[in-house]
Amino acid sequence: MVVFCLGPFLSLAFASLRPGGAPFGAPGEYSFDQYTAVFETRPFARVLLRSFVVASLTTVAAVALAASAAFVLAKMELRGRRALLALSLGVSMFPPIAIASPLFLVIRALGWRDTVQGLVVPYTTFALPLALWILTSFFREIPDDLYRAARIDGCSPFGAFRRVVLPVAAPGIATSAILVFIFAWNELLFALTFTSAPEARTVPAAIALFAAEHREPWGEIAAASTVATLPLVAITLLFQRRIVRGLTAGAIKG
Amino acid sequence: MARPRWQPSDRLHARAMVTPAIVVLAVVALYPILAAVWLSLQRAILIFRERRFIGADNYNALIHDDRFWAAAGHTLYFTVVAVALELTLGLAFAYILHRAIRARGLLTAMVLVPWAIPTVVAAKTWQWLYDADVGLVARALPLQDVDLLGMPGWAMHAAIVVDVWKSTPFVALLLYAGLSTIPEDLYRAAAIDGARGFTTFTKITLPNLRSTLVVTALLRSLDAFRVFDAVYVLTEGGPANTTETLSIYAYKTLMRSGDFGYGSTLAVATFIALALLAAVMLTAFGRQALR
Amino acid sequence: MRRRGLFAFFASLAAPSLGCGRGGPSRSDSDRTIVFKHQPLWGDPEPFRAMLSRFEAKTGYAVVTEALPSSSDAAHQYFLTSLEGGDASFDVLVADVVWVPEFARAGWIRDLSEVFPSATIRGDFVEGAANGVIVDDRTFAVPWYADVGLLYRRTDLVPDAPRTYDDLAREALAVKERGAVEYGYVWQGRQYEGLVCNVFEVIWGHGGAAFENGRLQLDVPEARDALRTMRSFIERGVSPRSVTAMAEEESRRPFQAGRAAFMRNWPYALVEAARDDSPIRGKVAVSSLPTRDGTPGHGTLGGYQLAVNAAVTPARFDGAVALVEHLTSLESNISMAVLYGRNPPRRAAYASDELRSRAPHVAAVEEAITGARPRPVTPYYALLADTLQSELSAAVSGIRTPEEALQRAQRASDRIMGMGAR
Repeated sequence: MVVFCLGPFLSLAFASLRPGGAPFGAPGEYSFDQYTAVFETRPFARVLLRSFVVASLTTVAAVALAASAAFVLAKMELRGRRALLALSLGVSMFPPIAIASPLFLVIRALGWRDTVQGLVVPYTTFALPLALWILTSFFREIPDDLYRAARIDGCSPFGAFRRVVLPVAAPGIATSAILVFIFAWNELLFALTFTSAPEARTVPAAIALFAAEHREPWGEIAAASTVATLPLVAITLLFQRRIVRGLTAGAIKG
Repeated sequence: MARPRWQPSDRLHARAMVTPAIVVLAVVALYPILAAVWLSLQRAILIFRERRFIGADNYNALIHDDRFWAAAGHTLYFTVVAVALELTLGLAFAYILHRAIRARGLLTAMVLVPWAIPTVVAAKTWQWLYDADVGLVARALPLQDVDLLGMPGWAMHAAIVVDVWKSTPFVALLLYAGLSTIPEDLYRAAAIDGARGFTTFTKITLPNLRSTLVVTALLRSLDAFRVFDAVYVLTEGGPANTTETLSIYAYKTLMRSGDFGYGSTLAVATFIALALLAAVMLTAFGRQALR
Repeated sequence: MRRRGLFAFFASLAAPSLGCGRGGPSRSDSDRTIVFKHQPLWGDPEPFRAMLSRFEAKTGYAVVTEALPSSSDAAHQYFLTSLEGGDASFDVLVADVVWVPEFARAGWIRDLSEVFPSATIRGDFVEGAANGVIVDDRTFAVPWYADVGLLYRRTDLVPDAPRTYDDLAREALAVKERGAVEYGYVWQGRQYEGLVCNVFEVIWGHGGAAFENGRLQLDVPEARDALRTMRSFIERGVSPRSVTAMAEEESRRPFQAGRAAFMRNWPYALVEAARDDSPIRGKVAVSSLPTRDGTPGHGTLGGYQLAVNAAVTPARFDGAVALVEHLTSLESNISMAVLYGRNPPRRAAYASDELRSRAPHVAAVEEAITGARPRPVTPYYALLADTLQSELSAAVSGIRTPEEALQRAQRASDRIMGMGAR
């Protein structure tokens, strides 16, 4: 199991230190040349920054929208609840390709191609159901008494949400934030469709289009892939429990 | 559940708090799908500014389009085989996690690694492993003159392996969570009755895991049916379109050929096919399994 | 809506700080600055920068270069979206041979006939290259450098170039059976644009026209014979089964390693074969591709052309044209050959002593470049390419018979070009 899970990526990470991406066992020196090449001959630093900005903004937007709506779903009564649940469940099932063509036309008309917001807006929409789901299940676990006490103390529903519920639900917020960030960091289809300039791409789109004129530059692909993946692996290992909880909350409690 | 008492201003607050989410979902997801249906009724060649209403002509062409049916077949094959393998392998992993008391945290972390890796990177990793010149997998296999991603028959299965690698962790975690909810007492009682390993598996584990299995299968199937990233990076649908899925066919028609009318028809068809798959699975496994 | 407004605001803050706003920095406002959008040249960028500096010194314009995605499909997709949106952030662009009619029809590139009359283009440039840039007798681009399909062979194993497909197959099998090589003949059979180039060469070699009277000629005896020949190479072991997975590099690597006797490839492989560490150094020669009757075959024309963005302002038009003139001049043709091994599309370049002495491998393919043919010159090529790639791939990999694949491709291409309802 360990070899199956770790083997493929570790061998690629090793290859990133070898000329031409040769696997271990083959002769050759170990060096960071491929990494230098990636950052010097391609706009990879900008691509990384771009991905970071897009994923962060998506996270903030999706979690903010989801938290306030999830609170209502979990703790308050409202006639539109079912409609919202149905809508978000429906959207989570959408194949992204189904809306790519009209979204492309809208984004083109707005002049948002190759911009940050041109990706953040669709990403937020697709991440929203996931965040909503996780947060609703977290909010449900917060005792009603806590909310009630806050209301009796004179807080408005929104005030109670902001001052009492949110701090208690911080772990849930963090969990959904991590999952949304990972989703936005990894997305490819919209990134390919709504960006075209090399410096406006996100990491997955850049790596997918990493070809040189005639050859597959394995060494550079390996280096760029390693750089793009290490932060995620670090986040995953650090927040392992939260992620497992978030993933299973999304599914098992449904 | 006792809820706080309603006050007149509460409804306003509640409404204000859900409205932004509803607006975003409606504007960025619901409106485009309707717009896609509208586009699918037109001949729309972006580059030559051709755009006119042609009614159901695109759908008529779709029915006679061999490439569409082939792509639908590939997508279904990919989904069924990949999800079946993921459930089997995922169950095995879940067992290992369940049994491993001491190293469980470490093992869970390792299992999560493929899940966290961007799909594009996962696909590039495997493309490299399959490469006939430098690939470790290609060299390890006792095959002569075979290019795993370049030959019909091989390529689809090579792509399935990538999806299985990437998604089994997710399946394993869900099933592991499901396993943890089965009371130990049941196993103890079975042991007293003299039940053996395989019998306990079929008589206790599987029935109790049923709803988790169904939910997992549903989630994974809907996801696998939408597959784009992995196959696009690995083969772009080749060789001879033998790995072309619905998403890839629609994407190529839209963005490579610039045919927005027929491309939208393919996209809408993908959406309908996915909805059908969900409906079929829900009917087949019964709603009560999902509670 | 308030929240969306908020992050749109943050996003707009982030955008300029990343330098990614649409129109780019204000330098485009200056009429003395020309923005050139091109794919990175393979090799050291310095000599090319020096070529541009000479232009700047001569004319007083400043030139800014911007990179395009290096894969041809991705670059095409870039232009599809940016030119269609009337993007005026660049003035001069490179276009693949098969894009020029499409871009011209879409109105994205300027008619340059005033400056480069079609008669002059036909006189100065090799026939195939000229045909690729002239649409309805109007010039829409100027050839920059040319590529052509060539037959490579190992001279230590096969002294004389085979003239016919039968000769090629026989010699490839003979060398392979002697155990001298693993593969007889390698070419590009993967599902991508290179395969289309390979197939057209064989169709021409069987006397087919491929494109006539505005219609793609696929469901014809010559094309069927061509695909049968290609398929039989695989079935008889002349070519390995994995040839259906090979692009340029996958075929060049075994050839370079001495594991193949023959190869079809572009001229760049000659530069690679002549490197100091090359195992086949001095043992390689190129010739025209074989044909059925033994006359020299025609290679598919590749390479890039320079065009002027239609959205460019009149004030910058002169500068853009001057840059195209400079980069496609005889002098620049020779520099590109000497510095980057790129084949000049200008006939006169091959007579130059400098080219003959400093880039002999470029001079060696003059005959092939002169005889190179473009793929079908039609605005619908991008729409056709996808169908062609998949059907031809199905035929060479044996999934469909040549008859069936060609019929399907014919039907699809007639539908696309006939512009009937889909």
